[in-house]
Amino acid sequence: MAGWLFVITLVLALAAVYRPFGDYMYRVVSGPRDNVVERGVYRLVGVDRNAEQTWGVYARSVLAFSAVSILFLFAFVRLQDKLWLSLGVDPVNSHVAWNTAVSFVTNTNWQAYSGESTMGHLVQMAGLAVQNFVSAAVGIAVAVAFVRGFAARRSGTLGNFWVDLTRITLRVLLPICVVATLIFMIAGMVQNLSGGTDVTTLTGATQHITGGPVASQEAIKELGTNGGGFYNANSAHPFENPTAWTNWLQIFLIFLIPFSLPRVFGRMVGQNRQGYAIVAVMAVLAIASVALTVAFEVHGAGTVPQAVGAAMEGKETRFGIPNSAAFAAATTLTSTGAVNSFHDSYTALGGMMPMVNMMLGEVAPGGVGSGLYGLLVLAVITVFVAGLMVGRTPEYLGKKIGAREMKLASSYFLITPALVLIGTAAAFATGHNSTALNVGPHGLSEVLYAFTSASNNNGSAFAGITVNTPWWDTALGLAMLLGRFLPLVLVLALAGSLARQKATPESEGTLPTHQPLFVGLVVGVTVVLVALTFLPALALGPLAEGLS
Amino acid sequence: MRLPTWLTQHIAALRALLVFTVLLGLAYPLAFVAIGRVPGLSDKADGSLVTVGDTTVGSSLVGQSYTDADGNPDPRYFQSRPSAAGDGYDPTSTSASNLGPESVVDTLSDNPDDASQSLLTQVCARSLAVGKLEGVNGSRPYCTADGVGAVLAVFYRDGLTGPVTRVVSVNQTDKPFLPTYGGVTVEPAQNGKDYQALGGVITPIRGNAPSSPVVPADAVTASGSGLDPDISPAYATLQAPRIARERGLTLDQVHKLIADHTDGRALGFLGEPAVNVLELNLSLDGK
Amino acid sequence: MTLLAEKPAVESPKPVRAGLIEPHQLWQSLPGALQKLDPRVMWRNPVMFIVEIGAVFTTVLSITDPSVFAWIITVWLWLTVVFANLAEAVAEGRGKAQAAALRAAKQDTVAVLKDGREISATQLKQGDVVVVVAGQTIPGDGDVIEGIASVDESAITGESAPVIRESGGDRSAVTGGTKVLSDRIVVRITQKPGESFVDRMIALVEGANRQKTPNEIALNILLAALTIIFLLSVVTLQPLAIFSKAFNAAAPDTVALDGNGVTGIVLVSLIVCLIPTTIGALLSAIGIAGMDRLVQRNVLAMSGRAVEAAGDVNTLLLDKTGTITLGNRQAAEFVPVEGVTAATLAEAAHLSSLADETPEGRSVVKLAGLGEREPGLIPHAVFVPFTAQTRMSGVDLPERQIRKGAASAVMKWVGRPSPEVAAIVDRISDEGGTPLVVAETGRVLGVIHLKDVVKPGMRARFDEMRRMGIRTVMITGDNPRTAKAIADEAGVDDFLAEATPEDKLAYIRKEQDGGRLVAMTGDGTNDAPALAQADVGVAMNTGTSAAKEAGNMVDLDSDPTKLIEIVEIGKQLLITRGALTTFSISNDIAKYFAIIPAMFAAVYPGLGTLNIMRLHSPGSAILSAVIFNALIIVALIPLALRGVRYRPSSASALLRRNLWIYGLGGVVLPFLGIKLIDLLIQFIPGI
Repeated sequence: MAGWLFVITLVLALAAVYRPFGDYMYRVVSGPRDNVVERGVYRLVGVDRNAEQTWGVYARSVLAFSAVSILFLFAFVRLQDKLWLSLGVDPVNSHVAWNTAVSFVTNTNWQAYSGESTMGHLVQMAGLAVQNFVSAAVGIAVAVAFVRGFAARRSGTLGNFWVDLTRITLRVLLPICVVATLIFMIAGMVQNLSGGTDVTTLTGATQHITGGPVASQEAIKELGTNGGGFYNANSAHPFENPTAWTNWLQIFLIFLIPFSLPRVFGRMVGQNRQGYAIVAVMAVLAIASVALTVAFEVHGAGTVPQAVGAAMEGKETRFGIPNSAAFAAATTLTSTGAVNSFHDSYTALGGMMPMVNMMLGEVAPGGVGSGLYGLLVLAVITVFVAGLMVGRTPEYLGKKIGAREMKLASSYFLITPALVLIGTAAAFATGHNSTALNVGPHGLSEVLYAFTSASNNNGSAFAGITVNTPWWDTALGLAMLLGRFLPLVLVLALAGSLARQKATPESEGTLPTHQPLFVGLVVGVTVVLVALTFLPALALGPLAEGLS
Repeated sequence: MRLPTWLTQHIAALRALLVFTVLLGLAYPLAFVAIGRVPGLSDKADGSLVTVGDTTVGSSLVGQSYTDADGNPDPRYFQSRPSAAGDGYDPTSTSASNLGPESVVDTLSDNPDDASQSLLTQVCARSLAVGKLEGVNGSRPYCTADGVGAVLAVFYRDGLTGPVTRVVSVNQTDKPFLPTYGGVTVEPAQNGKDYQALGGVITPIRGNAPSSPVVPADAVTASGSGLDPDISPAYATLQAPRIARERGLTLDQVHKLIADHTDGRALGFLGEPAVNVLELNLSLDGK
Repeated sequence: MTLLAEKPAVESPKPVRAGLIEPHQLWQSLPGALQKLDPRVMWRNPVMFIVEIGAVFTTVLSITDPSVFAWIITVWLWLTVVFANLAEAVAEGRGKAQAAALRAAKQDTVAVLKDGREISATQLKQGDVVVVVAGQTIPGDGDVIEGIASVDESAITGESAPVIRESGGDRSAVTGGTKVLSDRIVVRITQKPGESFVDRMIALVEGANRQKTPNEIALNILLAALTIIFLLSVVTLQPLAIFSKAFNAAAPDTVALDGNGVTGIVLVSLIVCLIPTTIGALLSAIGIAGMDRLVQRNVLAMSGRAVEAAGDVNTLLLDKTGTITLGNRQAAEFVPVEGVTAATLAEAAHLSSLADETPEGRSVVKLAGLGEREPGLIPHAVFVPFTAQTRMSGVDLPERQIRKGAASAVMKWVGRPSPEVAAIVDRISDEGGTPLVVAETGRVLGVIHLKDVVKPGMRARFDEMRRMGIRTVMITGDNPRTAKAIADEAGVDDFLAEATPEDKLAYIRKEQDGGRLVAMTGDGTNDAPALAQADVGVAMNTGTSAAKEAGNMVDLDSDPTKLIEIVEIGKQLLITRGALTTFSISNDIAKYFAIIPAMFAAVYPGLGTLNIMRLHSPGSAILSAVIFNALIIVALIPLALRGVRYRPSSASALLRRNLWIYGLGGVVLPFLGIKLIDLLIQFIPGI
């Protein structure tokens, strides 16, 4: 009961902030004015804030920024031993460095390393956490640019990336993080530059209590749906998630931006009801997923959970099973990937749900920005099929979905399944699945999970598998890189294509995209078209394990 | 001189990255490090360290082991949950076991480095040990009386079907927990053999242990972080008689202490009731 | 006066061949279907091409490693491809019959040039001038530049009644292959060699060089993407299957899975079942059949694109006369002048109209109510026909002459103007009516008020249009007051009064700038710019060559209301595609539930719980799915050819209906179908 109340309060809280926070973000991205700091940033960066960019220029800006970020981060972790606050750790080896650099720039935050033993404080805060901010801002910027494609009337331009990046970072992400950091510190998260404190336990042993600027990183880790933990144990670690209520707050922060962006979408296209329809699709999928995950975990099927009497392995006492399961769903419904309990030890079907969430393409509500554009692409595909069924050339928000649009949208939804499936098959074909800790179907799940997580830029793991080998670091790095930037470029190209069109006015003959019927249809397309692709693979992993 | 567009774009990108690194990577976290120095907040920012006399004995947020140098439980203290962090409660190596729900077959080997226990066997062994320590019945479903997973490899004539031809108790090298299965005598396992690969069907045997074992779930499972500072009130209560005995307290006194250190659900619905072990043990030491 | 009886005002749509196909049609199309197995033809349809490759692959496997199961699967995979080709062949076959009829009309005719030379019709060039006399076939498309003739156009329109073609004006265009019945005309050829109307029509109905329409291309992209996805999902399964089989060493080999992974036969079966074969197989048949439906309604679309655009139309521009109102005005009132009784006027009007076969004339007789016209009713009566010169018609009786006609002409005939009559004439004009003055020798008797009559049922149709989200706009040369009165009566959304060709063009541009698609009909040369500008321009076959060139469709019946049907056909075409796509994708759910447990339950018996249909064995389950997948194509051929039922309604109502039928139906039907097939085939030995 308490578990359901936990979910219900989250839903209510997110519903309450939808309008005000969505409106606020709308003003941030659409407002004409910049504040002093922002103008300062533009000057330092050397960009003209009034320059409107076509999709090509916008995409090149995103790619340039991300490329520079990857190189910078790669160099940073390779050279960390030469810098301050390194805590004496070694430089990160090249394949983990590549993997980490790609991982944080792509908003994945897959961690092929263990934070407390691999990364110094400076790298964590000035390298990794900076990417937590800007990779999130990039996602939101691209989503906003995409929506501008719908809103544009033959202009062909999508705004200015540098302006979007700056405003979103400084006016959306930073202020909320400031508040969240303070709250987290009050809850007991550490925030220092200490290398740790040795203590003598009650029975006389020595324990090294770690330190670090954790609270400030934790706030953006959740808010930006990044998920890269300061410590290996991530949000299960008492310093990253000290209490049951910080657990609630973290889930709230994870969902905050992705669930409010549809409001921005609605405002930008001038029809709030379109935003409600999109958020309804997200909510239906998310609530169903959370409910199923919690139900599977509470039920506790499987030999070990039955022997134990509960699926408590890998879960913290203070959170308990339902709140852990809710977190698992939240972190995979978005592109967060933080964990407060270890999915590998979940019941077979409970552990399948995080995978399914990611396989849906992380659209319910998905990562910051990427969730919105992902779902809108699915909506475009839905509109196409449904639009034909009402006897017109399909159009979404007045923009015709023709051959070019379908080419881009189809490619978009091809990419992640392709990466997941090819990666998983490659691991098995080459025998690299052998680093999986568990055997049989569960070992298969670990491999499948790894590629699903990387390709969808989630970053959570069935953590049993050992992935800091050159093959895994390279393969997953590629999955993350392609899984992030190919869809992103396609989405911007689609936006460019839409932006060049004039809008067809709505009429009785237009497919209504704000009604429950359409909401149900998008849900159906998402489940049937996307999830079913993975059913054969799932059958040999979690389903084989769970249906026995 | 005019630079090519692609270059100016990358230069802008680099400048933007540097600006944000200074702003978000230095100014923002360091500001909070500074705020963390504020009295009232500094304790928490430093890790909620607990000091007894001159000694820092731990963090109230981080669990620790209450074992002697050999790893045996110190009976004077409430015991924490099992931990997969390093050798147990090692904050420099936080981790979960990551073993799956069907991790039921041990790898048996003459060489201890090659051997590994399945999650099921770990659970069974812990249950047995806790039962012994607390003087209660440590039996669980799917566990043998000697504290390993009760799992058979059953060989059928036609693979998955047909009459049983051979049965091996895969986690036991001694006397199998069952004399016969399907009319066939159960053999003990031999080291280094993978009976599933030999064609056996892995079959966990439920046994007749009560479905709600006396030893609670958190006592036999490792947490996610390996640093879980809490145990369930049920596990604390289970340990109460031993603590009372060892500490010369009445059972009621111990129960009262437990109740005092039990955090209910926050706001009545967040999380689960939990007992902070370090604080509870400190209060025992304080008595 | 017209030579011909007017067609009934509102034509009931021609009975169109239903989509039902006779078994013999399938047989006849079979050779064509087999010819299409040529990979060079198949690859244009990527979905079915994959199936064909799969069929070849399983054939090889069946030969190298024969089994009953392998051979049955192979046969059914080939049947799947053949069925798909059959759908296309049947659709094309219907067109071929029409093409044959058209070719008959296109026999090599001899053209007589104006200078008397005789050349073969095929050698005619643009600009050649030919003479055609009664009994000859017009050798090519062109405009009459001299003379008037009645022409039998039944070869292309199917309409047996002859039509008039004359030089100048809007009825000057003639079509090659039609036959002059009377008189002599001189025609300037406007077609290029080999590009005559009939040539194009043949190409069109045969589906030769059929260009894919924009929506079809977009849909093909989606289908290709789905195909790639499912290909990947199946191919990448192999290493996982090998791993799983090796892990569970106890699992016996089955038809579906052995130590080398999923067997080739089953892998191909899974791919074929998952990729959208249903829509892939029927897509081109749907397109061909859509064009065919238009042709059957005697509309000739120059491109499939135009047909699709018709479904998208937001604004319909409709000419008032002939479309919204009856082609001709009807007598509504007799207004006698001072000193003449209404009865006198009625009687005179009656007499003058007895021989007037125009609808106006008949309506006057009807309004007078003095009995039917019968030849020889009035002895010695000499009827004076209407001519463009006199602009009057009437009757000469022994003791009096009666005339009726345009005010000015009759006044002139009477010899003195009357202010009273002028006043009445002005009043009627102001009300949007047409005054017809009746006079007898020496004096005007009164005026007949001819009024526009809105066709029955038009209001309901416009309401339908509105529900479909289409605005109707009435175009008329009338003054705004009259136009508004008629617009209100007809229930159109807007009107354009005193419309000049420039006005029409401007109106279309304005609509298009607002993002709307515009459809219109036209026949005159001055309609050409507007027809060209409109997204869907339907030229009347009776119209000028210029109009026919400018528009992207030609209505052979020259029925302006056809536009509404064209819109419906366009919509139906898209709906059919959408519905079958939905159906095809929904089918996958059941197929998963059939094939996945069949493949893997042998390794992980728990997966048997997914076998919710309780299919007999792995072999029968896979076979049932493959057979269902093939049969559903045949079962849906009639639907693809006929188009899904379309009733004008709002988009949300349409979506809801089609989603229930094709979405939910697509989910449920294969469960039933596969189970049923499984019940039958489990008795085949070896399955």
